[in-house]
Amino acid sequence: MEVLETKNLNKVYQLGNHSVNALDGVDFLVRKGEFVAIMGPSGSGKSTLLHLIGGLDQPSEGEVTLAGKSLSLLNDKQITLLRRHNIGFVFQFFNLLPTLTTEENITLPLIIDGKNPKQHQERLDNILEMVGLSARRRHKPDQLSGGEQQRVSLARALITEPAILLADEPTGNLDSKTGMAIMELLRISRDQLGQTIVVVTHDARAAAYADRVVFLRDGKIISQKEIDNQAPVQDNVKIIMGEIENLAI
Amino acid sequence: MLFNLRYSLRSLRTRPSRMLLSTFGIMLGVATILAISVTNQTALESVKRLFSDTAGKANLIIVAAESDSGGISPQLLRKVQELPEISAAVPSLHINTLLADQVNTPEIGLSFFGSEIGGLTLYGIDPTQDKLVRDYNLLQGDFLSADVNSLEAVLVDTFAEDNDIQVGRAIEIVTEDGIERLDVVGLMAKEGPGQLNNGAFGIMQLPTAQKYSFRQDELDQIDIVVAPGFQEKSRLEQVKLKLQQIAGDDFSVIYPATQGERMTQMLESYQIGLNFLSGTALFVGIFLIYNAFSMTVVERTREFGMLRTIGMTRAQVTRQVLLEAALLGVIGSLLGILLGIFMARGLSRLMELLIGQSLSGIQVPQEAIFSGILIGVIAAMIAAAIPSIQAGRISPLEALRIRGNVKEGWFIRRSWIFGALLLAISIVILIQNPFPYDVQFRMGSVVVFSLFIGGTLIIPGSVGLWERLLRPFIRVLYGSSGRIGSSNIQRAKLRTTLTVAALMIGVSMIIIVWVMTGSFKGDLDEWLQGYIGGDLYVTSSLPIGRDVWKKLESLPGVAGATPVRYFDVSAKLDQATEEELVFMALDPISYNQVTSFVFSELATDEQGALSELASGDSIFISSVLAEKYILEPGDTVSLMTKTGEREFFIAAVVVDYYNQGLVINGSWVDMNRYFRLKDANAFLVKVDEGADAQQVQNLIEDRYGKIERLVVASNQSLLTRVTDLLNQAFGMFDVLALIAMFVGFLGIMNTLTMNVMERTQELGMLRSVGMTRTQVVFMILAESAQIGLIGGIFGITFGLILARIFMLAMTAMSGYKLDFILPPDRILVALLIALAVSQVAALLPAIRASRLRILEAIQYE
Repeated sequence: MEVLETKNLNKVYQLGNHSVNALDGVDFLVRKGEFVAIMGPSGSGKSTLLHLIGGLDQPSEGEVTLAGKSLSLLNDKQITLLRRHNIGFVFQFFNLLPTLTTEENITLPLIIDGKNPKQHQERLDNILEMVGLSARRRHKPDQLSGGEQQRVSLARALITEPAILLADEPTGNLDSKTGMAIMELLRISRDQLGQTIVVVTHDARAAAYADRVVFLRDGKIISQKEIDNQAPVQDNVKIIMGEIENLAI
Repeated sequence: MLFNLRYSLRSLRTRPSRMLLSTFGIMLGVATILAISVTNQTALESVKRLFSDTAGKANLIIVAAESDSGGISPQLLRKVQELPEISAAVPSLHINTLLADQVNTPEIGLSFFGSEIGGLTLYGIDPTQDKLVRDYNLLQGDFLSADVNSLEAVLVDTFAEDNDIQVGRAIEIVTEDGIERLDVVGLMAKEGPGQLNNGAFGIMQLPTAQKYSFRQDELDQIDIVVAPGFQEKSRLEQVKLKLQQIAGDDFSVIYPATQGERMTQMLESYQIGLNFLSGTALFVGIFLIYNAFSMTVVERTREFGMLRTIGMTRAQVTRQVLLEAALLGVIGSLLGILLGIFMARGLSRLMELLIGQSLSGIQVPQEAIFSGILIGVIAAMIAAAIPSIQAGRISPLEALRIRGNVKEGWFIRRSWIFGALLLAISIVILIQNPFPYDVQFRMGSVVVFSLFIGGTLIIPGSVGLWERLLRPFIRVLYGSSGRIGSSNIQRAKLRTTLTVAALMIGVSMIIIVWVMTGSFKGDLDEWLQGYIGGDLYVTSSLPIGRDVWKKLESLPGVAGATPVRYFDVSAKLDQATEEELVFMALDPISYNQVTSFVFSELATDEQGALSELASGDSIFISSVLAEKYILEPGDTVSLMTKTGEREFFIAAVVVDYYNQGLVINGSWVDMNRYFRLKDANAFLVKVDEGADAQQVQNLIEDRYGKIERLVVASNQSLLTRVTDLLNQAFGMFDVLALIAMFVGFLGIMNTLTMNVMERTQELGMLRSVGMTRTQVVFMILAESAQIGLIGGIFGITFGLILARIFMLAMTAMSGYKLDFILPPDRILVALLIALAVSQVAALLPAIRASRLRILEAIQYE
């Protein structure tokens, strides 16, 4: 079953007198429980694609259907609520609220939704356990390392059981070891929770954790590669690097 | 340098709203300081000049020791003129009269110096000699001729214009002997002696004046010019002593300037309030500039980082920001001076109302302009000092990346210790008060400021506690997003602190103004009800004969009438001091039927006190005098009467603010026998129950208005006018509170705009995880509500403490003892005002935050 589908997605940016085609007729599909990585060089349109999928921006043409709803039919408030209930975001720069504790930062989407976080204690405990922060639940962001902060950010994205989790360069601000630990966590969340995930990255090692890698160039999908996630990560990295060389991107 | 200047100017131009805010801050500070210093200067100069001009070149003046001690004899004049130390001794006689056909019905003038009637003051002078002491600026016609028996007058042109009088025409004046004519031969300018009686002034021949006032061979004043060689201070003092010996006890030899002393003293006490306003305005200005520059530094972090990467040193960055501040300082100061001169006009008008005397042209001394510019520039640079140092500290790397959380400085964490210490010291000083009288007040001002600073220093350490305490309330208001907004005030603590402090000052000003106005007005209203008692106030610019009393009482609709008479008296209130007081003579029995006294002690046996007053040799003293000289019923006071020094028994202490409270009440009988006076200044009239006061007023005017020269006013209208006057006086303090609140408002707006700017990326995140625009607005409003409530609580606390201090200081300085009046609901209102201001101020930043485009926000660096 598809969680996400885009049809003929176009995005044109007007830069002074000339226009730039950031996305050019992208048809893209993500099934439930799938872990997809989007790769491409700078300016290939991968972040733009993620923003359109997440309802953060509107396409110039084409359609995004998420959790069975066409985004073009929704108004600003409806899109906000869709994001609140169906999408989890992970950013490169963690973006935690410095005044809130780990627990509070994680339950922030519930607080925003007017829910009592205490009624979701079990899920919180499970997620904390999964991301390995049970012992740091009362800490504030400035008492956590970068990796820990990104784990809080991941936990925050998972707390609402979203239909899809979108991550924009989640390892971009971390050292490689911590970065891989985050990617491992994403895979665990797919395995344990059946979470659908789309990650934008330019790091082949990060992409190697996905089930499928989508390659973008000049706003177009130029290739897709299924990954055998039973195989060792290093082998997958080689496959991806090979594809990158083939495609000359 | 030229490049730096150009770069600064361009930087300022790119942020016009911030530049305007900073300029406004400086302009406000400089304008207020200039306006106040100019007004103070003008008022003091005017008062001094009024008295020195009217005295002209005189070095000394001989006047009657008491207003009714009779005239100076020509013999005394001759004796003085013969002295070798004297080069000129110029006589004059003063008549207070009315124009018989006055075009404008005379209005009862009210000022803080008591009530006065329009009327016309005429000086009988010797035209040949008078020019030796006074300069008259003749605008039209001729001066008085040499013919001493001529019926000529020279009037002030403004008075002539108001009453439609032309040169060559005759005027009719009211004298003791009916209506007399004078030919107007010339008009003089309203300057020098022309300012007397606020311009309702004229001169005439001395013998004619003596004839018209039935005071042949009497003089009111001798103006003395001493011979060259005697003008030096110590020699002049010797001459003064010699003259006093010759003149005897009935007459006083004084320096011209002493005449204005009481007025000057009173002005000075009002000016203390104005100076406080100056200080506040400067503080306000500095705060606005600090805020605007902090914001600029936050906004330009990348720019400064870039400058640092290409080799600009920290000092150069700091200097760059300071240069911008100095530029704004110059622009703001120049505009401030223009605004200040404009404001000075308004303030002088207020001052005129207060002292009941028009002030001569506004004087803007050059030094005031220069010091205004200097203060503006220095204030701008002081205010920009911290932001400019912060700008210098931006590292090239930091600036080109996203900024993390700034660690709290040591001072922010520990400042509450200093704050608590400062508060403790201030309170100990206030309780102990170990300073002599004069220092006490200056010390008081320092303590007030240190209280504010102490309070401000306590804020950063206690923000967390307050936030947790108030959080439930904020949650009720704004729900779950309120919870996030509420905790946000714990970030950027320095900024939060200053914003809360600004609001705290605003709210405490409101509380102080309410307490002072409420307490003062409460007391004053009570006194006014008694003082302007009865229903009608009948007065005249001439003494009113006793027969009028009977006439008034026999009118239909009149339930009773009672006479009052004011005259000056010297009193010995303790061993050392002799004070000039106003004796208000009244008939206790009829007075009590028409109106009533306000006794300062509730336990006073009113009937007993009244019968003691009626039986004579007793007086009531004002609460002001009782406080000032520590007097109470049963004590005695010595008064200088016509029959010599005499002891009077204090029968009661009453609330009476006439003549600034320097007043005593005595019986009509005592006035007759000890002061040889028999006429009244005014009558208080009570109308019959059910009778129409307006009809009775018309009746009195119709029957006796012309014949007896009576002016009637309803007490209600007088009360309204006095209340208006008071409101105008207190209006200044309302403006002060309003300005302070406005600064609080701007501070909140600025702080929140800065916060929104700094947290753009975070706002993007919140929106992307599903926060709606309305929730973003609520979150910012909640943050602001926290600032509002904390500022409100601090402001109310300090306001109450300071109001208490001010009232104590006022009692210590003037003897006014006031009841502390502040209805409890006002405290709630003050808190609500703080909350409302915080919400309105937050609207714009909140809407701005809610409108951020998510994509741009999360990509914002």
